[in-house]
Amino acid sequence: MKAMNRRKLITVSAVLAAVSLAVTAVPAQAAEVGVSSTEIKLGMTLPMTGTASLGYNKIPGAAKAYFDYLNANGGINGRSVKLIVKDDRYVPTEAVAKTNELILKDKVMALLAPLGTANNKAVAASVNPARRGIPVLFVNTGFSGFADTKKYPTTYAVLPSYIMEAKIMGQYIKDNFAGKKIGLLYQDDDFGVDALAGFKTAGVNFAVKVAYASGSQGAAAAAGWITKFKAAEADVVILFGVSSATSAMLGVAAQLKYAPQWMLGSVGGDATTIKLTGVPAGVLYNAIGFSPVPATTDMKDEYIKLFSDIYAKAVPGSAFDLNVLLGMNTAFMTAQALKAAGQNPTRKSLMAAIDSKGATFANSALVPLGYSSSSHVGLTGYWVGKYSPTGDLAPIGGTYATYTTDSGAGAVVKSTYVRPAMPAKGLPN
Amino acid sequence: MKKVRILSLLSVTALVTTVLVSVPVAANAAPACDGKSPIQSCVGATSDGAPYAMQVPANFNGTVALYSHGYRYNVDIPSAIPLIGGYKVTNTPEPVPGGNADVAKYLFSQGVAILGSGFARQGWNPDSAIKTNVELIDTFKKQFPKTTKVIAWGSSLGGVITQGLAEKYPNLVSAVAPMCMADNVEPELTMAGDFLWGIKVLFDPTIKAGNYSAGAAGVAESYADLGKVFTVMGKLQGGISTGAWPDTSSATGKSLAAAGIPVRSALLLLGLMSGLPTQSAHFDSISGPEGALKLSFPLAVSPALAILENGTNAAALAILATQDVEMQAGGAIFDNTKTDYAARVESESVIFNAALSGNTVINAMLGALSAANPGAPRAVANPAAVAKMRALHTNTGKINVPTILMVGMADPITPAGASQRLVDLYAAQYAAQKAAALKEYQTTRSYKTPTSNLLMLWNRTPASYTKFADTGAPITSTPAAQGTNHCNFSSAQLVLVAKSLVQASSTGKLPSGGALLTAVRKAGNLSTDKGISAPLLKYYGNN
Repeated sequence: MKAMNRRKLITVSAVLAAVSLAVTAVPAQAAEVGVSSTEIKLGMTLPMTGTASLGYNKIPGAAKAYFDYLNANGGINGRSVKLIVKDDRYVPTEAVAKTNELILKDKVMALLAPLGTANNKAVAASVNPARRGIPVLFVNTGFSGFADTKKYPTTYAVLPSYIMEAKIMGQYIKDNFAGKKIGLLYQDDDFGVDALAGFKTAGVNFAVKVAYASGSQGAAAAAGWITKFKAAEADVVILFGVSSATSAMLGVAAQLKYAPQWMLGSVGGDATTIKLTGVPAGVLYNAIGFSPVPATTDMKDEYIKLFSDIYAKAVPGSAFDLNVLLGMNTAFMTAQALKAAGQNPTRKSLMAAIDSKGATFANSALVPLGYSSSSHVGLTGYWVGKYSPTGDLAPIGGTYATYTTDSGAGAVVKSTYVRPAMPAKGLPN
Repeated sequence: MKKVRILSLLSVTALVTTVLVSVPVAANAAPACDGKSPIQSCVGATSDGAPYAMQVPANFNGTVALYSHGYRYNVDIPSAIPLIGGYKVTNTPEPVPGGNADVAKYLFSQGVAILGSGFARQGWNPDSAIKTNVELIDTFKKQFPKTTKVIAWGSSLGGVITQGLAEKYPNLVSAVAPMCMADNVEPELTMAGDFLWGIKVLFDPTIKAGNYSAGAAGVAESYADLGKVFTVMGKLQGGISTGAWPDTSSATGKSLAAAGIPVRSALLLLGLMSGLPTQSAHFDSISGPEGALKLSFPLAVSPALAILENGTNAAALAILATQDVEMQAGGAIFDNTKTDYAARVESESVIFNAALSGNTVINAMLGALSAANPGAPRAVANPAAVAKMRALHTNTGKINVPTILMVGMADPITPAGASQRLVDLYAAQYAAQKAAALKEYQTTRSYKTPTSNLLMLWNRTPASYTKFADTGAPITSTPAAQGTNHCNFSSAQLVLVAKSLVQASSTGKLPSGGALLTAVRKAGNLSTDKGISAPLLKYYGNN
């Protein structure tokens, strides 16, 4: 009897020790940072003021419009989504400071759609979200490097990479402008490096390439660019820069009556933003443009219809443009990710949800998403369109011709992607 | 040389500290004590001739705080040299940081004595200074047999000495605090050497920037370098706004100037490739004046001004420390024949692309600085001298006792990365201890979580701090912002470290939890955020 008791005691002690170890080694799961019983906090940095803010400063309002709509319809498992926005004015050091505020003072669960290649690189180096295990969802840049899961393990791209865009442009040029002299304006940084890599893969030979340093773009610079394009007798000029560069170029070109076949990259191709700078809509007419999401004027599209309705109620009088659509689309994808992250979402479960289900998230884009357990690549293609007399980008012949590719040596192929139907009322299932 | 203009920009670190106690007695004699109360003061000199000072409160509880001061130049500086001219070599004892009265008052209130020497040799001196400290501890214990605990702390090079003491003699100290700690000699002088070399090959090829002659001739050469570097910095200050390159620029520099490359971009590149912070005492690389420059100033100009401010502050130390260590090692110790400066700035060239004027300009500058350009000759070290330098004391980074680190995130002389290195090494050390504890559990069924022996206090820069006059000109007459300049700590921050040391020496554990967070908040501007990761010095080649 005594022996049995001793054995039992030993067994119980061992169990207790094991339990003690488990308790010591693996602390009880605390509530996740930025997630309360009623709210999920997300943080965004981007230029809201200053010369670099034009167009981009509509993104937070668009995302908030969707989140407000979501919250009014029950939120995420009863929690509302709160978006905290900080103005970084497109200055990398300021993006670092503002991101620190979001993480340390506001204690957000995740960063959402931070904008700019340099800013995101500065934040990755100085704030180090990866070291902290903080998700950086759907960065607002097409720099291909952010899909590198080894270097940026908590960062998720959403826009197609600049390499993909350049490859698809290159394919379009081959198909439609063979033998023509091609000119390229590009930004002299990683944005441009990606573009050059894509064009090289596509086999495009340029008659002239003009680089501008970020921040140097303006009317005076544009006059110099035009001189170079004229000297090279470029038939087609690709504007692969930011909106301010595109606007400066088109504005000065209109004054000088310089009118090659324009081809606009998606970053600087938002018509609303260009027109806000005083560029006449007619200058855009027949320019070729690229977009991963439907035309913002396409009210037959169920996503465009719902998003534009939500936005019109939330921000009356504000034009529904590409920046707005991308902002709302990102918010919609975020809602699905949060929903898929479980009843009590954590940073880890949020990222796991995107890894496992992200590729199937409903969204307005006409091209597939590339998320998987080993890939943080977002959208993977574009459709090609032309700008209308009113300056709106629309599919050529009224039908979306979509192309998909990768950031490597993969071919550009016509997409057979069938977009998922919108969930009921545009809310995550 | 526009001395006034330079002075208006700079906030030079005070290297000569307040004299608390002086007049040492004969070397290795027993301390001479005044027997006063409530604070008894003793002075003396160690066997190597280092004068020391002890101050012991009447309520002495058996704990003494040993402080190691930072780098002091080991040569007099002629008064004609701007900014630092008139300095005289001193080995005045420094028993608390900078003679800070608040710190001494706090320690005395806790019954803690203070102790410190001025070291026998100035310059790069951890080898001799650690020995001096060991002897000093013994001397103090003999004089005050009630002594039970020794806490050690130090600033800058004194941080290296303090860490070295804890690594070599862990049984002598209960807790330590290396503050604004320098890295080991080679990484530190690589940073200094890279910057000086860049200044030389672009802006004034007559700067020697190392490989100084032996003896007095070498000292004279270093004086000449100081004058030339400060002159160049003055010209660069003007050139940042006008675009003009110094008239002393090399052929390589002039070719870059002729290509239209802004001198501000060249200066920034030198700072980035050396690892200097891009925030300085007065330039946050965030703020801009109201008006047209609101955005372009922080994007394109402020980072270069920060490098100018930080680089000027670091230049004197760079020249004099290089000359000093060369003297100890017997020849040139800086070698960049294999340095890939393009790799050094791979990440920064994206982040500061606008300030660097774009990839084309960056590539042109890196091409000009490449080993392939005979117009920018690389520095070649003397292998025997390098071997001797490497034989000087080197910290391994091992943490043996409760350790507190504190550093400014934008310290231009001892970058935060030097402390980060210890944080990283300790993370590995702690992980190994945990693994060992788990292994032990397999046999003993008893698991004890290892105690964390490292507390990292980051002194952060404010969210923004550059001020502008109504004219739009930046104001540089205000005190340096927190987190910038060298060892720029407030009394409250130093007292927090002192408090934490006292607690750790008493309990064997560093403060933690809510009490620590409250104390940190009250001290102001500090962070214990474990997510912070400062870039290591460029020497380590991983950034």
